[in-house]
Amino acid sequence: MDQNAVEVAGLTKAFGGVRAVEKVSMKVPVGQRRALIGPNGAGKTTLFNCITGTFFPTSGKIFLFGKDVTRLAEHRRTAMGIGRTYQITNVFHDLTVLENLILAVQGNSRQKWVMHRPVSAFSGSLKRAGKELDRVGLTDRTHDSVQHLSYGERRQLELALALASRPRVLFLDEPCSGLSPGERQRIAEIIREFPQDITVILIEHDMSIALGLADQVAVLHRGSIILEGTPDEVRANPEVREVYLGKV
Amino acid sequence: MVLRKWPLLFCAVAAALFAPLYLGPFWLSLLMQILIFGLLALSVELLLGHIGLFSVCQAAFFAVSAYTVAILQVKYGQPTIVAVPAGLGAAIILSLIYGIAVRTSGVYFILVTIALGHVFWGISWTWVSFTNGEGGITNVPAPAVGSLTITSHSSYYYIVLAVVALCVVGYRTLTRSPFGLTLRGIRESESRMRGLGYNIAAHKYTAFVLAGTLSGIAGLLYIYFNRFVSPANAEFFLSIEVALMVLVGGTGTILGPFIGSAIMLGLRNYVSAYIDQWMIVMGLIFIITMLWTPDGVLGVIRRLGVWGRTSHNQPGHRTPTPEEGK
Ligand SMILES: Nc1ncnc2c1ncn2[C@@H]1O[C@H](COP(=O)(O)OP(=O)(O)O)[C@@H](O)[C@H]1O
Ligand SMILES: [Mg+2]
Repeated sequence: MDQNAVEVAGLTKAFGGVRAVEKVSMKVPVGQRRALIGPNGAGKTTLFNCITGTFFPTSGKIFLFGKDVTRLAEHRRTAMGIGRTYQITNVFHDLTVLENLILAVQGNSRQKWVMHRPVSAFSGSLKRAGKELDRVGLTDRTHDSVQHLSYGERRQLELALALASRPRVLFLDEPCSGLSPGERQRIAEIIREFPQDITVILIEHDMSIALGLADQVAVLHRGSIILEGTPDEVRANPEVREVYLGKV
Repeated sequence: MVLRKWPLLFCAVAAALFAPLYLGPFWLSLLMQILIFGLLALSVELLLGHIGLFSVCQAAFFAVSAYTVAILQVKYGQPTIVAVPAGLGAAIILSLIYGIAVRTSGVYFILVTIALGHVFWGISWTWVSFTNGEGGITNVPAPAVGSLTITSHSSYYYIVLAVVALCVVGYRTLTRSPFGLTLRGIRESESRMRGLGYNIAAHKYTAFVLAGTLSGIAGLLYIYFNRFVSPANAEFFLSIEVALMVLVGGTGTILGPFIGSAIMLGLRNYVSAYIDQWMIVMGLIFIITMLWTPDGVLGVIRRLGVWGRTSHNQPGHRTPTPEEGK
């Protein structure tokens, strides 16, 4: 199936006078691992927010699996198979790790409307939640309140929440930010082990991780894509080397 | 010192069941008010404790069901069996309409609900031909089903107790359900919930209507208790008072609103013998609660370790292990 999971055409997002994203066009085929790199303020997170539906773009179009979703509400895009993580950890602090996972698991099912049976009656959800916790290595934290988790564990939970809704396209916004080198490798390992049919679009500042995971890389600068290519092409590009990778 | 939960519950149930035997008319009447207003406070707690929405119009749903019953029974001579469902229906319809308030959040939600509450109060005050205006509707008959009429306070007490108990059980079921968990998720992070596929507005709206229905049930219990309804039952002041019950008792539990109700109504009865200005006392209670015990009386008890709990997770909100679910 040579369909595009995500297609963005002439996308612009302006905040007042600031054009955070300007005329971006990009196609990501199903199953691809795509890295999105660029300096702070380049518009990477804004591009994510437009595609996932956090807010609508100023102009341009967005397609998911060939369907125009430019004006579709965020929760409907999630139902179509979008999953995402946030640059700034966005989890449910006052709930337990398991409750966090259950919210993610039931998000795309009718179960979220059930009022007359306890959460504990839904063994399927509990099992899936347990499996996702296992995948990110948080099983021994199942019953702890998120408040008692370390920063690194919260980043793992962040990832587990996105996976638990069984996305077809996953948007990861700097999953390794703020982590130690050891923890970064661990997250990278988790991402590498994702099923191959999940399309992954990854924003990452750690170049060795970003380029190590990606099939294709797009470089964003001041709201526009200035280069698209394989990791090797991006590494070899003098401009990118100079500005984003530092002189090696 | 850790109190056991089950023996305590058993004692409470026994005390409640035999209350008419050992309580005089004054105390029994106070106990019924504590239960009825505790139920009204529980509707505030559903929105405040779970979604974090501070609704200041619950008195409107309380009053609309009370008024509907009073008008149908007194002005149109309808029997209880017609008036009660109609009263409940009126509360549901009003909350379906007032539910638009959930489109706002934070302080705007508070302001919108104040305004909506005021609109209903205004109607009850000015639509004299229908509501008798300031005078209210008096002489509401005792509830009757067929030839059975419940005239004595002590037998009506059992109806109040049964209905409140049913509502509490329903409330507990709801808050432990996937839907209840959803509400707490919304309180913690709306943006994440949207990202996980939840239509936030729909969940908030549903919770708002459920809370309105609960307030309406409290109104039904109240009208047959009081046999009189007036615009005072729809006032902003009442909405504030029940919200204060929740804050005083402590959010996050079912018991909290009822404890708050007992404290507030007990104090009011005691204080009003000495001072006319209950409002001033209420203001002071509010300030003291906010400054020193933001998690209410139950929060203080919990912090003292009586129930041996330190976590922020409330009793009844625990989700079982994946193994337990198998
Ligand atoms: N919600 C917002 N309101 C106003 N300006 C914003 C908002 N989000 C992002 N911006 C601006 O858009 C630009 C791009 O930001 P962002 O997309 O976060 O960059 P990146 O993720 O690449 O670091 C920045 O100048 C930022 O200040
Ligand atoms: Mg960013």
